[in-house]
Amino acid sequence: MKKVLVACGNGIATSTVVASKIREACEEAGIDVSVSQCKLLEVKSKAADYDLLVTSGMFTGGEANIPVIGAISLLTGVGEEETIEEILMHLKSNGCRPAK
Amino acid sequence: MDFVYVVFHALLGAGPIVLLPIIITIIGLLFRVRLLKAFRAGLTIAIGFAGIKLVINLLSGNLGPAAKAMVENFGIHLDILDVGWGAIAAVTWSSPIIPLLIFGILLTNIVLLVFKLTDTLDVDIWNYHHMAIVGIMAYFVTDNVLLGLGASVMMAVISFKLADWTAPYVEKYFGIPGVSLPTMSSLSSVVIAAPLNRLIDRIPGVNGIDFSVKDTQKYLGFFGEPLFMGLILGCGIGVLAEYPVTKIFELGVNMAAVMILIPKMTALFMEGLMPISEAAKKLTKEKFKGRKFLIGLDAAVVVGNSTVITTALLVIPLTIFMAAVLPGNRVLPFADLAVVPFRVAMVVALCRGNLFRSLLISLICMAAILLAGTATSPVLTQLAMTTGIDLSASGGISSFAATSLTVSYLVYIAFTSNPFVCVPILLVVLIGVWAYMDRRAKRAGQASGTEESGRAE
Repeated sequence: MKKVLVACGNGIATSTVVASKIREACEEAGIDVSVSQCKLLEVKSKAADYDLLVTSGMFTGGEANIPVIGAISLLTGVGEEETIEEILMHLKSNGCRPAK
Repeated sequence: MDFVYVVFHALLGAGPIVLLPIIITIIGLLFRVRLLKAFRAGLTIAIGFAGIKLVINLLSGNLGPAAKAMVENFGIHLDILDVGWGAIAAVTWSSPIIPLLIFGILLTNIVLLVFKLTDTLDVDIWNYHHMAIVGIMAYFVTDNVLLGLGASVMMAVISFKLADWTAPYVEKYFGIPGVSLPTMSSLSSVVIAAPLNRLIDRIPGVNGIDFSVKDTQKYLGFFGEPLFMGLILGCGIGVLAEYPVTKIFELGVNMAAVMILIPKMTALFMEGLMPISEAAKKLTKEKFKGRKFLIGLDAAVVVGNSTVITTALLVIPLTIFMAAVLPGNRVLPFADLAVVPFRVAMVVALCRGNLFRSLLISLICMAAILLAGTATSPVLTQLAMTTGIDLSASGGISSFAATSLTVSYLVYIAFTSNPFVCVPILLVVLIGVWAYMDRRAKRAGQASGTEESGRAE
């Protein structure tokens, strides 16, 4: 199962919107996924345990060693499909972690 | 008629746990959400409220007595607990007049859009709570629904206009075009930051100061992590309360729990409101097809900026220190230390990332928040108690949101102290600033116009 971390300013509002849209899209595409939410300030200490980081806004505050996708389009509705497509591609692609 | 009256009063007496599913279902149906979906949303929100109540009891029951002991032992007069914006939002959404306010705010947005008085389309229903709480508090104090509605509409107009005016900063500084941020929790700082930034521009010697701080995330990063924040603050207050060692750690761990649990409960509110927000988005987008506007988003989209993070990480400990020494302040900063980045984001953008200015102005904004929070705590505390939250163990509650925010405080005072004098004054100031901003925008437009034509030649 792939693990996605969704981060936003307070880990509540916009990340909930983004997280539920990702869950919905994955369900439709038949991808087994676990989506968690956090504050941007927590990314540094949490990101390592995840396969993909999705942020609701822009994020220049720190580096993460996992792929990062900015998903502001899921809030504005402009370019929403493309972003969902990009997220799904990352989750389908080979970056599978060996099962522990 | 009598029957309706009796039912209505029975519902009001039942409290938010019963009221919330009904209110939200009605709001949902009005936005043409299907009945089952609307009811599920209402129930989810009521569950969030039940959760918040539990956590606030944990907070108030543990931190309240400790804060009181701290006052007795050291005279550090911080007995008003900062319960955080989530708890305040819960109180807001459970008010019986919330449907009226929501539609009042939405209608205000639509009317302003139709008459081209704003470019911001704000259907982020969730964030309406910043505007609604001012109306609810005005209604609570005056018992006049019209004053309540008026206060919320005033908040809405100010929010949309501030969002319009700050949109260029969102585009240029944060690099997000086509978007504005009608979130009062971050916009409110602008009314302090914009004049101050101008002032600093004119002080020779000071206007050139800037510095940078390296590795703030490395050394101060734990201030951004709520669980450490809660633990440290809880233990610190336990020490000042002169608790025995085990009780100090008990308070620390309990406060870490509060810091982590409040957002989890608040997320339920967001989850419940999402279907309604989405429905509102769809409805209004159809109505304004072809019109170019700024999409109103939660300010959460800009707080990931590195200078915002650096400023916030420095402001958080300084705010705790300031709370102890600021004359007149009684608010003990706690839950809302987690959302300091929102309070500083627009300040950083206005100062174009100048860390010296951002820090100085942010601290002044935070001082204003603490003082307004102290002043409006009694009303907020009473309001929260009517929804069944037990606060007897503490000296009152406050937050860094609601009427602690400078703009919200001013609107609240205007509508409650002497509305016939103060509301016109507020309107005149608003219209004056509006005219000034329009003229500035026009001049800027002309300047860039001639620049472009100059380049073309």
